[in-house]
Amino acid sequence: MAKMMNNLLIKVYQQILIRIEDKAKFKKDYSEVVLARKRLRAENRINSFEDNLSAKCLVLALKYSVNNDATKELIASKVQKIENKFYWRKRALKTSFERKSAKAEDKSAVEKTFFDKARELDNELSKEIETINQKYSGIKSNLEQYNTEVKELEIKTLEKIAQIERKSASSLEDFKKKTDNKIELLNKFGKYFKDKLFALVDQTKINNYGLDEDVILRLDNLTMRFGGLLAVDHLSFDVKEGEIFGLIGPNGAGKTTVFNCITKFYKPFDGKMYFRKNKIDTVFLNDYKVHQIIKQGIVRTFQNVELIWELTVIDNLLVAAHTLFKTGFFGQLIHTRKLRQEELVLRKKAENVLTKIGLLAYKDSYPLGLPYGILKKIELARTLMVEPKMIILDEPAAGLNDAETLELAKLIKMIRDEEKVTIFLVEHDMGLVMDICDTVCAISFGKRLAIGTPKEIQENKLVRDAYLGEE
Amino acid sequence: MLKLKNVLANFKKQFLSISKHPYFGFIVLGLIFLFALFLRNMGLLTISVINTFTLVMIYSVVAMGFSLLLGFGGLASLGTAGLVGLGSFIMGYFHGIGGMSFGMTIVISIIIALAVGLLVGFISLRIEGMYLAIITLGLGEMLRQFFISYDTFTGGFTGTSLRSFKIFGKLFESGNDNYFNTVYIIVIICFILAMVATINIIKSPTGRALLSMKNSESAAQSMGISIIKYRLLAFILSSVFAVLGGVLYILHTKFSYPPQWNLSYSLDILAAVIVGGAQSIYGIIIGVFLIFGLKVSVLNYIPFFSNNPALIVIFNGVLIVLVVMFYPGGLIRLLQTSWFKLKIKLAKIKMKWRTYRYGKDDE
Amino acid sequence: MPGIDVAVRQILIIILGLIAIYAALDLFWLRKQTHKSLYRSRALNVLIVLSILTMIVISARLFTLPIIIQILLLNTIDLSILILATTAVVLIFKTSVTTNFAQGMMATFGAFFAASVVMKLIDNGSTNMTLILFAGLFAGIVISFLLGLFIDVMIIRKGKNVNSVGKQMITMGLVMVIMGIIPVIFGSNPIVLPAFSVDVKIFNIGDYPMVIPVQNLYAIAITVIVLAALFIALRFTKWGLGVRATASSETIASMMGVNTHVITAMSWAIAGGLGAIAAFFYASMGTQVQVASMVPVQVNAFMAAVLGSFGSFGGSIIGAILINVFSSIAPYYNGTWQLVIVYGIILLIVLAKPLGLFGKKIAKKV
Repeated sequence: MAKMMNNLLIKVYQQILIRIEDKAKFKKDYSEVVLARKRLRAENRINSFEDNLSAKCLVLALKYSVNNDATKELIASKVQKIENKFYWRKRALKTSFERKSAKAEDKSAVEKTFFDKARELDNELSKEIETINQKYSGIKSNLEQYNTEVKELEIKTLEKIAQIERKSASSLEDFKKKTDNKIELLNKFGKYFKDKLFALVDQTKINNYGLDEDVILRLDNLTMRFGGLLAVDHLSFDVKEGEIFGLIGPNGAGKTTVFNCITKFYKPFDGKMYFRKNKIDTVFLNDYKVHQIIKQGIVRTFQNVELIWELTVIDNLLVAAHTLFKTGFFGQLIHTRKLRQEELVLRKKAENVLTKIGLLAYKDSYPLGLPYGILKKIELARTLMVEPKMIILDEPAAGLNDAETLELAKLIKMIRDEEKVTIFLVEHDMGLVMDICDTVCAISFGKRLAIGTPKEIQENKLVRDAYLGEE
Repeated sequence: MLKLKNVLANFKKQFLSISKHPYFGFIVLGLIFLFALFLRNMGLLTISVINTFTLVMIYSVVAMGFSLLLGFGGLASLGTAGLVGLGSFIMGYFHGIGGMSFGMTIVISIIIALAVGLLVGFISLRIEGMYLAIITLGLGEMLRQFFISYDTFTGGFTGTSLRSFKIFGKLFESGNDNYFNTVYIIVIICFILAMVATINIIKSPTGRALLSMKNSESAAQSMGISIIKYRLLAFILSSVFAVLGGVLYILHTKFSYPPQWNLSYSLDILAAVIVGGAQSIYGIIIGVFLIFGLKVSVLNYIPFFSNNPALIVIFNGVLIVLVVMFYPGGLIRLLQTSWFKLKIKLAKIKMKWRTYRYGKDDE
Repeated sequence: MPGIDVAVRQILIIILGLIAIYAALDLFWLRKQTHKSLYRSRALNVLIVLSILTMIVISARLFTLPIIIQILLLNTIDLSILILATTAVVLIFKTSVTTNFAQGMMATFGAFFAASVVMKLIDNGSTNMTLILFAGLFAGIVISFLLGLFIDVMIIRKGKNVNSVGKQMITMGLVMVIMGIIPVIFGSNPIVLPAFSVDVKIFNIGDYPMVIPVQNLYAIAITVIVLAALFIALRFTKWGLGVRATASSETIASMMGVNTHVITAMSWAIAGGLGAIAAFFYASMGTQVQVASMVPVQVNAFMAAVLGSFGSFGGSIIGAILINVFSSIAPYYNGTWQLVIVYGIILLIVLAKPLGLFGKKIAKKV
């Protein structure tokens, strides 16, 4: 009785802990996004003030003609502008003259009017240039006035910049303090529950279905039957935490069926599957439905790329983050503030993931029409959105060329090392499997042939027979 | 002088940033419709134009719900007519005959829509694709038979008529301008609210979940999207929109009779959504206008068509066939692409004029 | 009538009992079996057959068997029409994977043409009525055949990447077009075609005299002949093989050298011809045929195809027979709610067997 009570309490505490941790994490992410935004905004404002100052200084310099070079430059630019304008007018005149002269019989008359008009234009041009020169060169230099005015301006601007800085810093600090306070409070709560939880865990021998410390997934006599066909036949193996585990076998050996059983696309006919969700919680996978698997920490990719073609790449990643959205339907109906915050945070996260995989350039394009290698990578990126414990890859290298496969191998290793996830893959490309896997399991007709390091598998006679046929 | 310029520039910037907000277009559209009412009261527009606008708005509400189902959820249903009819009879019975308050009637209609949506949703869990379309067609026919036979509720073949309605304690009797204007404004408000709700759903996790359910069910499931939940949701949403459309319909036309809610009405809604473009709100409005409004507001004034009413039907049919054959994304896609092409053409014309005036560049 | 209430109650009790037995079986025995899904579908089949038998038996006891047979005999013309329409719908579904909403309209067009031919011949002074009617029927079939051919070759196939919903929409548009064209060509009056014969034939089953109109016999005979020819063609000709290949996968069939264009065009044409026969008999039933008269028949044909499964001709014909039986007996239970009753029964059956009575499930690969 007490044990049951304890188990129940453990579950309750865990739920509370997950909620608190989620909330704290969200607050932290959100504050980061907001702080970055606020900082950028303040910087932009300051920059614009500085730009303004320099522009105004230049105007003053012209006004009091302190800087000869600047005046000359200004005059030159104005003259250039006018000359350009007249160039086009002349050209228009010339083309119209050519058209007319081609048609007209009396060419000399047309020519005469043309030359008259051209002369008029030239006169106009020289007049305008003269007025400009007069306007700007007639000013007397007055350094004192200039200096005082510039100083005034500088003081004013600096004051404003300082004000902005102060303001933004104080608001940033306020915001940070507020969120930090909240996060601290949440952490306190979290710690309280964590302590209680661990105390309870220490007290009770929790039911982890007899899984060893380092095992993350255990299949126990998994059997799957389609009508009369035995696709998976009493298959059992363990996957250790943090390793890259490869499942190999000839065509039709039931590899993908195993995946589909783990992710509950098929209901296993017989057998048990256990998954270690975290240190204290082990789940019995048979009890869950397809869409609940991702919440336990298992994400998969597909043999044929299954993307949402009508959404952009980043929206595809946000679909994967579906379970991370906490706003309910009615919140979505009126687009509450919370939903917008969540959207902001998760979009940022998706961008980070895309940067990590190297796909940021494809952020806003639609997946339809992208190269196959990129599509496979998008699927991989999609799995990283939920920070899973285990990623299941169904033939990640199928349809890729050698260079792409090599790159993929690197990427898979990188993900394993950086995200600390377990990777479980089915693959036909033996090179890839032998290169990256820590443990390999070979199956044939649903039965386990051998399990061990890649080297052991390579030397195993049964495996070789299954692949090459018995002699 | 300089300051004024600054203020103007600032204003322009702000206006541009506001006009990018999706709600902006909806409110502008609502204001245009409101302006039409103003024009009508000035005597510049005929009443039939206003009637067309009202019907277009009401049917757009229905079609938006339907597009959530078809364009996003990828689920075909041909029972829309029954649901719209249900809405109109609920309003006619509970408010018109039973004397229940307006708000209460809306609540009841939403509850009934929820129940029907749930029922069809559960059916859709077992039956899929074309089979589902036919079964919902059957359900629509069943509802129509129900309307015809259950005459205490619907008035049988003669139908229900709504003489007056009461909102916020004010009574509006049919037959005068006051009633007409009030209904028109109510319809505009509902229309804008429906558009806002639709865009909010589309641009939220729910919209993405519906789309992913349509594109790849297995991917959706493995990403934690429950197919059951979102199918039910899609059907519930579409039936709530349809029932509300029915409520607005009886407010506007003041009567509703059962044989009107037949298969061809459902097919018209489907056609409107497909012709306009199933995933764009403006596309849906264009589609609804083409299917329901074009005849009343434009073609009737062209002598060639008004002399041969059969030609209007042919015109509509040919329009649907051509759009589906050559513009699978709907008319809205056509408008977008042609706008783009127009821009390119304008640039080319500008270039030609330049070479005419200035001659060819020597370089 | 109190007897009807009792009968309804009996039917409900027996069916509920059957469902309860099935549920118990499912709970205690089926779930532990190795071939779970197979047994389950078999049990469901038995359940459905028993339910239908219950309804028929109890109805027979209520109205007595001879009356039931008499009712069914009188409705054979409806049955022929429904079977023809259903076969046409299924034929198009198999080759083009779409439900043809224009089916009824194509048929009505044929009937209107037939009627105008018949009128012309009568005006010209022909007196042999049977011959005139056969000529009209033939003309109607030919025109609908050509119409179907035209629709597929000139419209459906010319579309740019049109999917099955798109094809459905095109057929909807065609409904409007044909609906507008018919009054332009044939005038806006509804038509009534004369029957082949207005006689009735009386014969005995046991001691009970039975009545069947000769017109029904004509309808049955023509339906049987046409369907037999169609099935022989499907079974033994190259075209039939092509239809079956196209039905399973159009791309693969065309890669294997089947000219899918010819196959689909012929299917549309034949569907048009079948529809024309159906509409012809519908018009000769004494009711006025207007432009939209065939719509209920078409809806019933869709329901029959769903009930029996879109995938198989035989199944859909059985679906059509079931619907005909239900809808001829239902009015005697309750005149106002007959449609609800019939569609409700179909809905329940389809809920139990989502792919129709004879549909086969194809496992989807993930």
